[in-house]
Amino acid sequence: MSKSLLVISRQAPWSGPSAREALDIVLAGGAFDLPIGLLFMDDGVFQLAPHQDAKAVQQKDLGANLQALGLFGIDDVFACHHSLTARGLTHPVNAQPLSSEDISKLIDRYDQVITL
Amino acid sequence: MKFAIALFSAAHAPSSRRALLFAQAALAGGHEIVRLFFYQDGVYSAANNIVTPQDEQDIARQWREFVSTHQLDGVVCIAAALRRGVLNSEEATRYQRSAVNLDAPWALSGLGQLHDATQTADRLICFGGP
Amino acid sequence: MSTLHVVSHSPFTDSRLDSCLRICGSEDAILLCGDGAYGLRHPALQLKGVKVFVLAEDSQARNLPLPDWADSVDYPGFVQLSLDHDKVNTWL
Repeated sequence: MSKSLLVISRQAPWSGPSAREALDIVLAGGAFDLPIGLLFMDDGVFQLAPHQDAKAVQQKDLGANLQALGLFGIDDVFACHHSLTARGLTHPVNAQPLSSEDISKLIDRYDQVITL
Repeated sequence: MKFAIALFSAAHAPSSRRALLFAQAALAGGHEIVRLFFYQDGVYSAANNIVTPQDEQDIARQWREFVSTHQLDGVVCIAAALRRGVLNSEEATRYQRSAVNLDAPWALSGLGQLHDATQTADRLICFGGP
Repeated sequence: MSTLHVVSHSPFTDSRLDSCLRICGSEDAILLCGDGAYGLRHPALQLKGVKVFVLAEDSQARNLPLPDWADSVDYPGFVQLSLDHDKVNTWL
């Protein structure tokens, strides 16, 4: 059986290639049909804010990559509830909010974890 | 036990040296390193054009010697490397760039190599940041 | 299941240690290294009651005395810690 990997993405989408490169790990794992989970926490939850405008800073839209998660078989997408509320985000896009206790259990469920 | 080691920082970051010393201790302890995977700014830790003052540690060179001596599988993520200007001769030719700053023992390859290593290893250990 | 959390950022300038403590499980441990070693001066770590280790070279370099609630490890000790836990979560 394949080992599972949880990727915890903590970077805002506009701080350089970091957020995109975290998503690339997830999408590559999905392309190999591996069991991959994705958790947004800290400033990473800003990736889930609606109606962002990548063109305003001449960037590619990271939202398109987020939309692609389902196509790559990545269905386990979570967001840290504490991080969301601390940043006034009430309507995250396509991610299930988790309490701190649930995040602790989530990490336990996976074989490996990468936090970036 | 089998380790996969992923590095996310440049050779001048303390975490690059920390990863190297961890890797050395793992081998000295009788463990195996199935692969080193350099991602994000970790690609700079494989660059061969770094010049350090003589009285400072040359971590990129130490990485090269470590990988060569132990014949390890040292993989640098190709997408991360291209974006940061870390090129082997093949990529420099392909993109018509004048400088080559990556060579043996490092290989450029894709993120699949990271996933492949985590499947084989008992532990994935990441190093990065300060 | 237990996780070894590795933190190398100073808790006085960075939120990683706070986030780590928030989601840390009862079986988990934290290894402080690099500027993360300044966590030895951070009261929140002691209050949480989680097992705390520091990479010896980093506490030595910073002249940080080892409090009675933390243990010191060298690199072979770091390797062993990574095997004593089910996984390693480095806060990159």
